[in-house]
Amino acid sequence: MKSIRPPKIGLVLTLIACSLLLTGCWGKREVEQLAPLIGLGFDLGQKPGSYLITEQFVRAKQGKEGVEVQDRTFTIEASSAREAYEMISKISSRIPFMGSLRVIVIGEDVAKAGINDMLDFAQRFSEFRRTMYLVIAKGKAQSILNLKLRNGLLPAMFIKNNLETGDTISTFPLVHLGHYLTTLDTKITAPIIPVIESIKPGEEGVEYKADGKDGAEIQLQGAAVFRGDHLADFLTDEETKGYMWLENNVVQRALNTAGSGESKVNFSGQVLNSTTKYKVSDQDGIVGLQYQIKASIAVDEVMGLKEQLSETGWVDLMSEAEKSFAKVIEKECQVSIQKERELGLDFLGIGRHIEEENPRYWKTIKDHWEDQIVNFPVSVNIELTIHHSGMSSGSPTTN
Amino acid sequence: MERVSPHQFMTLGAGVLMGGTFLLLASGVTIASGRDGWMTVLPGFTVGIPYALMVFSLLEQYPRKNLLQISEILFGKWIGKIIGLVYILTTGYYGGLLLALLGDIFERSIMPLTPLWVFYLGGLVLAIYLAGSGIEVFARFSEVVFPVVVIALILSVALAIPRIEQGELLPILDEGLKPLFRGVLKVMPFAMEYILFLAGISTFLPTGKQELGQLRTEVWRAIFLVGILNMLVVLIQILVFGPEETIRLANGILVLGKMVEVSRTVSGVESLFMGVWLGAMVIKMSAFLFMVSWGIETVFSLKGLKWNFVVGVVFLGIALGFTRGPYMLRELSVTESYLMFPFASLWIPLLWGVARWKKGAGV
Repeated sequence: MKSIRPPKIGLVLTLIACSLLLTGCWGKREVEQLAPLIGLGFDLGQKPGSYLITEQFVRAKQGKEGVEVQDRTFTIEASSAREAYEMISKISSRIPFMGSLRVIVIGEDVAKAGINDMLDFAQRFSEFRRTMYLVIAKGKAQSILNLKLRNGLLPAMFIKNNLETGDTISTFPLVHLGHYLTTLDTKITAPIIPVIESIKPGEEGVEYKADGKDGAEIQLQGAAVFRGDHLADFLTDEETKGYMWLENNVVQRALNTAGSGESKVNFSGQVLNSTTKYKVSDQDGIVGLQYQIKASIAVDEVMGLKEQLSETGWVDLMSEAEKSFAKVIEKECQVSIQKERELGLDFLGIGRHIEEENPRYWKTIKDHWEDQIVNFPVSVNIELTIHHSGMSSGSPTTN
Repeated sequence: MERVSPHQFMTLGAGVLMGGTFLLLASGVTIASGRDGWMTVLPGFTVGIPYALMVFSLLEQYPRKNLLQISEILFGKWIGKIIGLVYILTTGYYGGLLLALLGDIFERSIMPLTPLWVFYLGGLVLAIYLAGSGIEVFARFSEVVFPVVVIALILSVALAIPRIEQGELLPILDEGLKPLFRGVLKVMPFAMEYILFLAGISTFLPTGKQELGQLRTEVWRAIFLVGILNMLVVLIQILVFGPEETIRLANGILVLGKMVEVSRTVSGVESLFMGVWLGAMVIKMSAFLFMVSWGIETVFSLKGLKWNFVVGVVFLGIALGFTRGPYMLRELSVTESYLMFPFASLWIPLLWGVARWKKGAGV
């Protein structure tokens, strides 16, 4: 009988050992055992050095009308995110799963005290992704995540959905954790994060029926500006819109010229596309930044038009509309630039633009940049094109 | 006697040169050269070309001999043996550290609860099996695995393009050329590891004039392929993370994999990529196992599977001694920069110079 050579015996033994010892993954977790985390909120705790950490989990359950999502939201006072994880694990029948987290809501008090310590877990622990979104809560993050919304969505899901469809109105920035960290690292540009707030009936021009049962409404509006990782101030809706133009973040936008000029006719329209470029100019030793915004608009509403216009008259009116829209955009940009100057914080990234295009000049001013923001020349040039005025060339108000 | 064809030599060499460089390079070159770090990658790798040409020149002069045997011929038995011993110790120590790196990457990124010895054992079983099967099987293994590594790297880079942050590459050459030299110095040790592999594998290479010409072409091809791929990997990390984050991130390419989202349906493909990276790491670790075996065979005339097992046990011992990740990474960097780099960069030119001189003098 032919004997088996020793190397083959060794190989067979190794394979047997592998199949016996390597029978599965360590730390294997079945989906049914997991509690997917979708929202995380941070507020300051009552004890010194502690945080109120709110974790919003979803639990899918088979209901009468298909799969129903149940809200499982906990708030824990802990000194670290890991400690909160441990405490939640004690009271939850499922294992918290961090890989599904999409939104981090940061309370105003934590934002003022500094957010980097709280974000360290999110940027370090391998289950998390840098694509998760950051928002700042006006008030407490806990209050936002604990709201029962009228549309039945969990607040974290609502925020995620609204952020992801935000480019249809382009009124607030979309900030991933990764983007925040990269911006913070420039040490020139002040990070900016969108703001979420709950709105009561009558606030912000929104009315809705609130009898306690139907729940509440929340909205994303404005942004928070940071000095390092500390909240410095909030931007208004208009200032944030200006930021969006100057940062080339406008995809689609609704624009309204009402109240913007002396024209008796007001226009509303939708920005179809937009591009913002910048150039660092140097004229006679005076360095400045020139923004060039190019946008295409479709006019959707013409209000206050009292007469039927000829073709030439309509052309003139659209030309007037272009000027009116340009004024609106310019005003938004100017209030944003003005805010940057008031704060002495470069959330528009002007310093980085200078560094990119004129690094030699940047080296001469970088040490005093925050002092120089106030007087640094910035100009905005807007070039608008109205593509069309919808399905009508006249208005029903025409006599 | 086993033989490796020019094409196998290219894929095997490229696989060894690549190893896990794409996991570690970005941070190192960005520390050295800032946002221009990506420019240093290709020049750093091409430093290997003149060294490879020296190895082929020696091979032409001393066919069927590795550089350890040639060292004994040219420098005398004892100096040759000392060089061989340095070769064994350096490559053996580094091979063990590579095994530790393999475990660290998996534990750090996707399998935090799996014991390290599982990764070590898995990697070692493959490496010992390849070493036992011979250089031809190892070359064929590389022919299969290396193209997959290339495809996965290209996918990682391409799918991360939507995540690029505006203007992170600018200004270019802001600090001048000086930082680039520091970056090139960070890359050069990887090229020298490849040269040390060439020093050992030369016994198995064809020595005909035409085939040697082909081998020279394949070296250029391997170095440029790996250099360009690594350059793209560093470039995309600087573009997505910015220079400071690129420095800070441990294994930035894995973080890129986590950021991949295609139409919100395909996401989190890092685990798939990790399987491919395992292949790349196994090629490199196996190469170092081969190198130690060649060294032992040349210096001590010890040959056979049992010695591969002994080397494997040594690798395992070294890996188990470096279970503290930061300590292991520092040791890896020190070994590359202060042991392998000076050793290869001095030994090969000296050997080549003496061989040329002796040939010229007719000794």
